[in-house]
Amino acid sequence: MEFIGELSYFLKQMFLTMVPFILAAQGTMLGGRTGVFCVAQEGIMLTTASVGFIVAFQTNSIFLGILAAFVVGGLFGLVMAYMTTTLKMNQFVIGLALFFIGVGVSTLIPKLVIGVTLVPPLIPTLPNVPIPLLSKIPFFGDIFFNQNVLVYFSVVISLLLYYFLYRTSAGLSMRSVGENPKAADALGINVSRNRYIAVILGCALIGLAGVYLPMVYTGTFTELMVKGRGWLANALAFFGGWRPLQILLGSLFFAAIEVLGFRVQVAVSRIPYQFLLMLPYLATIVVMIFSFRKPTTPGFLGKNYDREKRTL
Amino acid sequence: MANLTQPKEPLTFRKILNNSIVSYTLAVVMAFIASGIFIALMGYDVLKAFQTIFTVSFRTPNGFIQTLLKFIPLTLIALAFTVPFATGKFNIGGEGQLLVGAIAATTVGILAADLPKILLLPLVLLAGTVAGGLWGLIPGWLLYRFRINEILTTVLLNFVSFQLLNFVATEVFPDPAAGHPTTVPIGKGGWLPMLVSNPPLHSGLIIMLAFAAVIYFYSTRTTGGYELVATGANPRAASVFGINVRVMFLLGLVVGGALAGLAGGIEVAGVHHNLIEGMQSNFQALGLIIGLISKGSSLAVPFVAFFIAILEVGASAMQRTMGIPVEVVYIVEALILLFVLMADVVRRK
Amino acid sequence: MAEHEVILQMNNINKAFDGNRALDNVNFELGSREIMGLLGGNGAGKTTLMNVLYGLYRQDSGEIILKGKKISITSPGDAIRHGIGMVHQHFLQINNFPVIQNIILGTPVKEKFTMNLVEEKKKVSELCERFEISVDLDAEVGELPMGTRQKVEILKALYRGIDILILDEPTTNLTPQEVDALFLTLKVMVNEGLSIVFITHKLREVLSVADRITLLRNGHNVTTMPRSEANEEALVWGMVGEDMDVKSSVIFSKEQRSAARIDLSATPVLDVENISLVNEQGINRLNDVTFQIHSGEIFGVAGVAGNGQLELAESLVGIQPLSAGKVRFYGQETPMVTAELLEKWLTYIPEDRLDDGYLPKANVAQNLILGAQHKQPYSNKGIIDWKKVFAASWQLIKEYNIKTGGPSDTAANLSGGNIQRLMIARAFAHAGKSMILAHCPTRGLDLPSMDFVYKKMLERRSQDFSTLLISEDLDELLLLCDRIGVMYRGKLVGILSREQFDKYEIGRMMSGVHG
Repeated sequence: MEFIGELSYFLKQMFLTMVPFILAAQGTMLGGRTGVFCVAQEGIMLTTASVGFIVAFQTNSIFLGILAAFVVGGLFGLVMAYMTTTLKMNQFVIGLALFFIGVGVSTLIPKLVIGVTLVPPLIPTLPNVPIPLLSKIPFFGDIFFNQNVLVYFSVVISLLLYYFLYRTSAGLSMRSVGENPKAADALGINVSRNRYIAVILGCALIGLAGVYLPMVYTGTFTELMVKGRGWLANALAFFGGWRPLQILLGSLFFAAIEVLGFRVQVAVSRIPYQFLLMLPYLATIVVMIFSFRKPTTPGFLGKNYDREKRTL
Repeated sequence: MANLTQPKEPLTFRKILNNSIVSYTLAVVMAFIASGIFIALMGYDVLKAFQTIFTVSFRTPNGFIQTLLKFIPLTLIALAFTVPFATGKFNIGGEGQLLVGAIAATTVGILAADLPKILLLPLVLLAGTVAGGLWGLIPGWLLYRFRINEILTTVLLNFVSFQLLNFVATEVFPDPAAGHPTTVPIGKGGWLPMLVSNPPLHSGLIIMLAFAAVIYFYSTRTTGGYELVATGANPRAASVFGINVRVMFLLGLVVGGALAGLAGGIEVAGVHHNLIEGMQSNFQALGLIIGLISKGSSLAVPFVAFFIAILEVGASAMQRTMGIPVEVVYIVEALILLFVLMADVVRRK
Repeated sequence: MAEHEVILQMNNINKAFDGNRALDNVNFELGSREIMGLLGGNGAGKTTLMNVLYGLYRQDSGEIILKGKKISITSPGDAIRHGIGMVHQHFLQINNFPVIQNIILGTPVKEKFTMNLVEEKKKVSELCERFEISVDLDAEVGELPMGTRQKVEILKALYRGIDILILDEPTTNLTPQEVDALFLTLKVMVNEGLSIVFITHKLREVLSVADRITLLRNGHNVTTMPRSEANEEALVWGMVGEDMDVKSSVIFSKEQRSAARIDLSATPVLDVENISLVNEQGINRLNDVTFQIHSGEIFGVAGVAGNGQLELAESLVGIQPLSAGKVRFYGQETPMVTAELLEKWLTYIPEDRLDDGYLPKANVAQNLILGAQHKQPYSNKGIIDWKKVFAASWQLIKEYNIKTGGPSDTAANLSGGNIQRLMIARAFAHAGKSMILAHCPTRGLDLPSMDFVYKKMLERRSQDFSTLLISEDLDELLLLCDRIGVMYRGKLVGILSREQFDKYEIGRMMSGVHG
């Protein structure tokens, strides 16, 4: 009985924990499918965690907080797209610059708006929304269908992204831009427009991943609270071969490792907890050894396209 | 009198802009104007803020030495970024390499605390350098052997190093008197001699400047440096013409790691004399921004690093005296980077 | 030939790249149901002009008139809407998409929310029938042979219902037999109502297929004339202008060169014995290849691109490891390590100049010593002497006519032809007595530069040095080589000596038919 209890708790935590990984990795994937490789996830998530929390705190509305995070993420995407697609600046350099800005802004804003306080300001965390009937299924009902909205959303958005990219003609065009922008351009597909749309939406999803942390885990914003999840999500995009369904599956693995670390920490006190906290990062590095150069990685990932640049 | 017949080309606005020093200076000025507007919008006195930022480093000996103390690790950690960057690889793990270097330096300094200075000090610094190099070797080897993206591995190892430091500072050599994860101090023999005793300035400055000079010479005057640069310019062509580019990537990351590790060793031997959680401050982000503003030029790094050190020291003073959050200086620095990068785009057009 | 009604005019087109004028007041017209040959050497502006028409480049000035109406084309999408299609020399395809997806990409799909492509497949099949083209629509494009991939490109254009088709150097990757078949397809297309622009630098091709010929040189119009009035000699003069002395040239020389007298008993310079290469994907790219090159010989390797030539070149330079076989230089087996091979035995001109041949972010001097950085006088005991490097660079820039601001100028500023000259200068300057391995060395060069390279090669031949020349241009091989080996699917299917040279025989061997 105890085992069943632990298992059900573990699984429920796992589905709760996978959300930021899914959202940030799918966002990364979406931009990557058009060839734009953003490495600013960590910075974007920090900023949206901060801004989303502050908006929710000031307006008393969780919804507005989430919306603000989505918009701020999208703004990061707009800058990323403009710098790389229009100005043709190096994607990694711009990504790192945005990462830097994100880290700085995330601590600046609470200081400006709230100031330094001894007791951290709190917001209510996102409530669970049981789905009628389904949540009543024994064992599974509580694990799958008694979660917060963003858990459901992250699964639905993954399925939608799969459908869009692989089952619609607009999705085909979008993918062609990431595989060979010159070929796409020569067929009249608007490379820039596709990149702007994908990067802005992608970064907006990354923004949601950021705001999830204060809204579900802590109820407040703390400095550097993303703790590398942005970078892990980046690795997850590679792990999933830049395909939505595989990323969805991969996120379960990433979530399981994170939850495992916490559960073992509680259960076994002999192992220094520091080594358990290293686990997600070390596991990710090991996983990358087996998954890095997948043939499904977009052919033009990380490269800008300049139509008038002569290639001969 | 041949040049009389030759028509002098008119000095157009565009030509002046095309001069890189002019355009970068302009970029920095614009960044200050833009962030000045931002500071004004927050309701602070812009002129006083900037005046504080720029004068603190030069008004008092203390301010100047504070600046130099920041200048040392910032230069090293920025070089830890630019050396691999010359081969086209991004080392975002300077922070972790610095900490691992500091951990090794502290460990040696505590375990061999009774050794005389002539032995212990070199050992402490060497331990830091070697440990940092090994920490850089991990992503280097993963890149060499499995072609795994170094951005992700270097940054993920930072998080591992935080836990490692916490473990050493709380479980292995904890200082029970401190309220924060801290180790006991290293042996006096491991302390760097002071150049100036009050306010204290340690001799790590000289070590740092020597390393910066060697790296500049190596990358511009030797065949090995040529091969590093050729690899960064086009790895595929470099390998077609006989340069083992994967070894170059590996070498770049190991040297980068070693430089950051040395910075860690110097921080321990010169400033803290023990290991303290959080001692890496915000060096990672600043090293990155210095490296990017310098565009990977090892000649530019010390100058940019000095400039950023002035801003950082100035920003703390600004927070103390005017209550403006230090993070404002982040905005200034980020804008400088963006405008410097944009200056290239404008010149390209 | 009946008079063709004019359907397209391009008037006074100007286009410059970074201040270099690529097109200077060029005029062009195309008649209905006409095959217009657009002729000129490399750098003449042919492709640039057609890229303007196709919307890939914007002209700086000039107008385009289609069927009597002035139109503006700002993107390929505009061109397609106006019924203009283009088949590029380097196919613009998405390798890991199936043929049908490549064809319908960017066009409205009937069932766009299920991507059920039944309708579309039917339409493509009809086109295949009408134009006598056969392609497997579900095959992945990257896996198909070059000839078939070209058919996919043509289908892409036809599917969009175009009535003007531009073909850019369409015969580059084809065997002589496939070229004949392509010309038949062009005639079918014209009969079906299309008008065709045929871009080429090969005189014989325009003479055999075009109704009219427009000749460009250095971005200028030279002449436009009906095929019936064209004469070979006049066109040659038109193509090269005063930049080159046709009489003393190698390319247009009427004299029959005889094969070098080779001492077969001497140790060969290069002895390749039964080499095979299996690549990272496990595909056999070289299969039991054996040949020798003797001193004073130019040995050619012919074949349709992608039949193992690249692997042959890269394995001989040590870039790709061999799976089996032996390679000897002067009878000596050497470790196949690039740095060592380049230092002792050969210099290399790679096929892909942009990816393999130069360092865009480095300066011209740094580029010129690439691969020779350890050699005297450039460096001594690991310290580079930049003064000497710069002096040597100035000399090479002058001798090989590289258009650049100087040794310290960024290589990214070089045009394609000048990058090619840089690679040639580097290979010839560092070759000394060792072999030159040249893979498509004249790609992108104008005729005078091409001729210069040929003269250099023949000069080395007369000094008893040897050259391995891998080329897709059969005419080039026939002109220069003493012997030609033909590759097909990783095998060297035969070696012909100069007396046995026959274009169609080589063509048969190139397509695997071995007599």
